[in-house]
Amino acid sequence: MSAVDARAGARSADTVGAGDRPPPRRRRPRHLREYLLFLAFIVPNFFFVIVFAYWPVIYNAYLSLTSWNMLAPVKEFVGLTNYTDLLTDGDFLGTLRITVIFVLGIVLGSMVLGLAIAVLLNEKLIGRGFVRTMAFAPHILSGAAIGTIWLFIFDPNYGLLRPIFGVVGLASPNWMTSSKWALPGLIIVYLWKNMGFIATVYLAGLQNVPRDLYEAAAIDGSGPWHTFRKITFPMLSPVTFFLVITTTIGTFQAFDIIALMTGGGPGNSTTILSWFIYQQAFKAFDAGHAAAAAMLMFVVLIIITALQARFLERKVHYR
Amino acid sequence: MVAPARLSRRSLLAASGGAALALTAAGCGGGSGGGNGFAQASGDKVPDKYAKRTRVVVWHAYSGNPGTAITELAKRFNESQSDVYVEAQFQGTYDETAQKVTAAVQAKKIPDLVTFSEVNWHNFYLNDLLEPLDGYFGSGLKRSAYNQKLLSEGVLKDKLWWLPLARSTPIFYYNKTLFHKAGLPDRGPATWDEWRDWSKQIKGLKVKGKQVKMEAYQKVDGDWQFQGSVWQWGGAYSNGLNVAIDQDPAVAAGEWQRELIFKDKMAYMADSPSVDFQNQLIATLVTSTGGLQGMTEAAEKGKWEVGTAFVPKKEQQVVPTGGGGFGMLAYSPKDRKQAAWKFIEFCGKAENSAYWTLTTGYLPVIDAAVDEPDLKKRLADDPNFSTAVKQLDIVRKEDEVRLMVPNANILIYTGLQKIWANNTPAKQVFTDVAGQLKKATDKVRKNIEKHI
Repeated sequence: MSAVDARAGARSADTVGAGDRPPPRRRRPRHLREYLLFLAFIVPNFFFVIVFAYWPVIYNAYLSLTSWNMLAPVKEFVGLTNYTDLLTDGDFLGTLRITVIFVLGIVLGSMVLGLAIAVLLNEKLIGRGFVRTMAFAPHILSGAAIGTIWLFIFDPNYGLLRPIFGVVGLASPNWMTSSKWALPGLIIVYLWKNMGFIATVYLAGLQNVPRDLYEAAAIDGSGPWHTFRKITFPMLSPVTFFLVITTTIGTFQAFDIIALMTGGGPGNSTTILSWFIYQQAFKAFDAGHAAAAAMLMFVVLIIITALQARFLERKVHYR
Repeated sequence: MVAPARLSRRSLLAASGGAALALTAAGCGGGSGGGNGFAQASGDKVPDKYAKRTRVVVWHAYSGNPGTAITELAKRFNESQSDVYVEAQFQGTYDETAQKVTAAVQAKKIPDLVTFSEVNWHNFYLNDLLEPLDGYFGSGLKRSAYNQKLLSEGVLKDKLWWLPLARSTPIFYYNKTLFHKAGLPDRGPATWDEWRDWSKQIKGLKVKGKQVKMEAYQKVDGDWQFQGSVWQWGGAYSNGLNVAIDQDPAVAAGEWQRELIFKDKMAYMADSPSVDFQNQLIATLVTSTGGLQGMTEAAEKGKWEVGTAFVPKKEQQVVPTGGGGFGMLAYSPKDRKQAAWKFIEFCGKAENSAYWTLTTGYLPVIDAAVDEPDLKKRLADDPNFSTAVKQLDIVRKEDEVRLMVPNANILIYTGLQKIWANNTPAKQVFTDVAGQLKKATDKVRKNIEKHI
């Protein structure tokens, strides 16, 4: 925010300054030229943002008020029916419940694990560079590759997890074909994918914590846990804030790995909101309900982001 | 020096901004053509030697052996005449192809011919996007050349909208080697009760340390095979547009499978039952004839023998058909539609139909194909190959709700997953599914009734 304000301030100062020097007669054309130049810079960007970001949202809001199969020439206006249908549909409410578990599991899990890895990698360990690379690697893999790898790992007959379960005398669960295990399985995959990125960002944050704070704490006789709680974690709060918001939004949009690994099943056990929207739109060709569900997701995301901004930002220290 | 340089940089930036805008506008507005505003889908550059011909774009859903076969047919067609150039473009599964056609209609940039599944074509028909094909038959290809049972599945309101191509039925596969080990006869069971008795003899058999089970149910799209089960138990998914999946026969068929999984522990739900059959994790499997080639190859590699038979009987002996066929888009201009028909004529020649069947394992849709030397020999030599053709006598067209109501198949297989994976009683699942199906049907009922 502050950077934008500063830029705006600089611009207005520049304009005032520019207005001071030239004689009144030349003021207008100069102003106009500046203004046109400003437009030339801003309009292309603005145009693309409107076309690719705002217009789809607006059009989606309109579609959510219609009944349309994506092929018929006419979209029938139905008012809020799609919304009332969804909010009274048991399956959709089940989808919301699964989405909450999925998002909470992934966001909390990957934040905790990512931070733990970052703290470990911040220590002077042998082979640290290699481990850092390994930890980050899953983040750059495509969802399709991750899905394929984990389908193999989870395979109850041939998978890599089977011998591990075998060591403790247990049979590997049928991860992706069991309603009980499919959601935990998916969460594990996303944790594996997200952890490395979160660890890397945290690591950068850790290295920015001033050493003198630690020295002062050591002099005061603070133990490692106390130091972490009172210094490291609070000093990482801007990073945490950024990561919580981006991971939450990213997790709501999860799609590719679900498409590859479970297709929302068995039953509806891994149907999260994004998959539900896809299924309504491109399997059932029901654009109205898909758009209404997408609007609900949009609103939920705005609310969550606003809440996070309101409650988390209070606790953020920007040094 | 400084001032002009600054000026030129500014004007350059302004100009490039303007250019970007202009480009975007052009991009958004481009792509029109043809009298009704529909342009042809783009693709690869047409080879120079075919540049002067009428270009026909075919979107198909075939990879693997069928993919090779349709590409080869297009190539042979292009070499066989000098007026039409066919470009066959692979678009993913049937569902993905249908999604892309939907998007193409919105973008007004369409292919001319599309291979739709037995479910998908209805949605395009109900929205008046398909061309009736009756008027195109002539000396090049007679209507009577087709297997009439399969052809009739593309007829609605006395007109033909969908032409059979990659049609199949589920057949019964069994592992002869395992059957032999278990002391079972070398044939398919006549009834499902006999099959269940046999499962007791299979129980305890192990291959590579793994317990062999009797069968597996396909997680996605398993509602196609299950429709056959419901019929064999004497029921239906629907009678006309009246949903019947919550009635006793369907519930009994569902309970039968639930017991096999959770009581007998001789079946399970699998991502790919075909792969599990090929790996000898299951001794029998009901799945498409289209998989025969893959099963045979896997069996040879694994040094065991595969057998095929008719799907067993319960109350009735009956199986559904399935698979894909050609639909022609009505908004394609007349000359391209006629050119596209030339390709259909070519595929309908007995020798080409035989080539297609031999390469893919799909049913011969042209009756005369079975008299072509290569196919005739194969049918005589390989009893597995002929099972599907013989089974054509007991096929039945699928239930209307599954065919015509968008999403019906997904609602059904999602319900089946709950039986197979969660051990939810079939009555409870099918009561829910019936409710959803009725709601989905009511939404499109008026339009369907107008079109049938």
